Amino acid sequence: MSTETIPSLNPARMAVFPTRGRISWFEIGLLLICLALVMSGIASNLQDVLLLSFLFGGLALAWNIAGGYAGLISFGHSAFFGVGAYTSTILAVRYGVTPWIGIWIGALIAAVFGAILALICARLRGPFFILSTLAFAEVVRIGALNWSSLTGGAEGLSIMPAPDLLGMVFASKTTYAALMLFYLVAVYAITKGLEASRFGYYLFAIRDNEDAAGAAGVDPLLGRTAALALSAALTGIGGSLFAQYFLYLDPTYVISPELSFQFALLPAVGGLGTAIGPVLGSFLITPLSELLRSYLGSSAAGLHLVIYSFGLIVVMLYFPAGLAGALEKLTRRGRSP
Amino acid sequence: MSALLEVRHISRAFRTTLAVDDVSFEVQPGELLGLIGPNGAGKSTLFNLIAGVIAPSSGQIIFDGKPIQGWKSHDIARVGVARTFQIPKPYRQLSVIENVMLSAFLREKSVAGARKLAETTLADVGLAGYGGSPASSLTVGLLKRLEVARALAMRPKLVLFDEIMAGLTPTEVGAMTKFVAGLPARGITVIWVEHVLYAIMKTATRMIVVNRGKKIAEGTPAELARHPEVVKAYLGEEMDLA
Repeated sequence: MSTETIPSLNPARMAVFPTRGRISWFEIGLLLICLALVMSGIASNLQDVLLLSFLFGGLALAWNIAGGYAGLISFGHSAFFGVGAYTSTILAVRYGVTPWIGIWIGALIAAVFGAILALICARLRGPFFILSTLAFAEVVRIGALNWSSLTGGAEGLSIMPAPDLLGMVFASKTTYAALMLFYLVAVYAITKGLEASRFGYYLFAIRDNEDAAGAAGVDPLLGRTAALALSAALTGIGGSLFAQYFLYLDPTYVISPELSFQFALLPAVGGLGTAIGPVLGSFLITPLSELLRSYLGSSAAGLHLVIYSFGLIVVMLYFPAGLAGALEKLTRRGRSP
Repeated sequence: MSALLEVRHISRAFRTTLAVDDVSFEVQPGELLGLIGPNGAGKSTLFNLIAGVIAPSSGQIIFDGKPIQGWKSHDIARVGVARTFQIPKPYRQLSVIENVMLSAFLREKSVAGARKLAETTLADVGLAGYGGSPASSLTVGLLKRLEVARALAMRPKLVLFDEIMAGLTPTEVGAMTKFVAGLPARGITVIWVEHVLYAIMKTATRMIVVNRGKKIAEGTPAELARHPEVVKAYLGEEMDLA
């Protein structure tokens, strides 16, 4: 029995649960539920949770291209997030460039930052690579703090909260939710395409055994650089979208280790190196952390972190391969009764 | 006829030890060259030098008319040199066929084309039924065959086999020997390092013996079995020559 890797949309042959490089009923069902949630007029604070789940789902998928597929575990992705957010915002606030264009320029600059990080860390592996990514993001954060003529420094940058289509500022949260869902679906489609492509296989090879990849004619440094550049570009787009929704940027939040850890955590909980994993991770963790923060934040400060961490330990203990791993077990049970 | 591979006065030092010491030899197209020597003689270092895993301290390596010494391993792979690893290095999270597809991509750019080439290659080495299994589930013997399949799916001009018999049962050794012997007829030149001496003595068209980093003898298997230096190098190690 060989697994088909050519993306297939033939409903008769479509799998129920997600498989690599192919669309399944599960994914279509999940998309329909997301669309329905966007359209239904749910309460405003729940809409915040919904659109953040979409945004962080996309960001987790972007991180997963480097961390899950190419094995480049990064704790510095908030640097790319910040570069994207600051680029589109500076272009809009200072130079009057619409974010609809600024977002792509931000993605491009974030990609350059990603490539630079890959080249700096060309010879570093494992913990040495991870620590270097953490340091890289700190350098970017300190740079953003001190270059205040451009970034506004510690005071931050604000976007005019006047709804304007050209300025990508909207009055209704439904519009934002739709925008974030579009971002999530786009990054998901890129990930699925990657899984079924030669480039995707190159990344698996580099992750699993670099010596063997080299012996097969794959250039490991080129692969790592391309993977990190793509991952950074997609993270940068997420940063720009966040800025358009939050309308305020400051380096200590946008380029923080906490945010970097969050990007890495969601795929780890959901399932590294799978497409559905980071999405499930975000759909579980983002609402949990947001709801715990809003319900417990005032009465018992810090308690939400305790509950949150406890939940994480449970997931790591019982689903070491993440939520996607649990889903795969279901698939196997379905096949062999 | 010009040589496919020319190794000229190649040396490699690790700190103060010369792992490979001024070794020169040629390989003609269609040859099956055996490379033998006691443990630590420098056979694997020699392979790593040709495959570009490490760079020589001095000397030249000419492959197909191009000086390839100091090239990166992926560039050497692209001009037609494939190699197996003494300790198999599979992509553990991928299936058997995907392991081979990654080599096939060198010649077949489309996923479907690579899959087809990988299927043919798997059948060739007797792994036809294993395509969908995870590479991590294979036994040592099957992993050695996977190494061979990955090398051959690159459609190489020259293949370097590094102890592909170790850990195989006698029946498997017989089948593999026959398989390797058939490769030159298919246009694949072979350099073969092996500790299972009876297999290589039976198959090789020519052999090179190395000891302590130096080439100590060269000739047909029959000539070497009578060579005093060779017998001395193996004395107290393995006496099952020929």
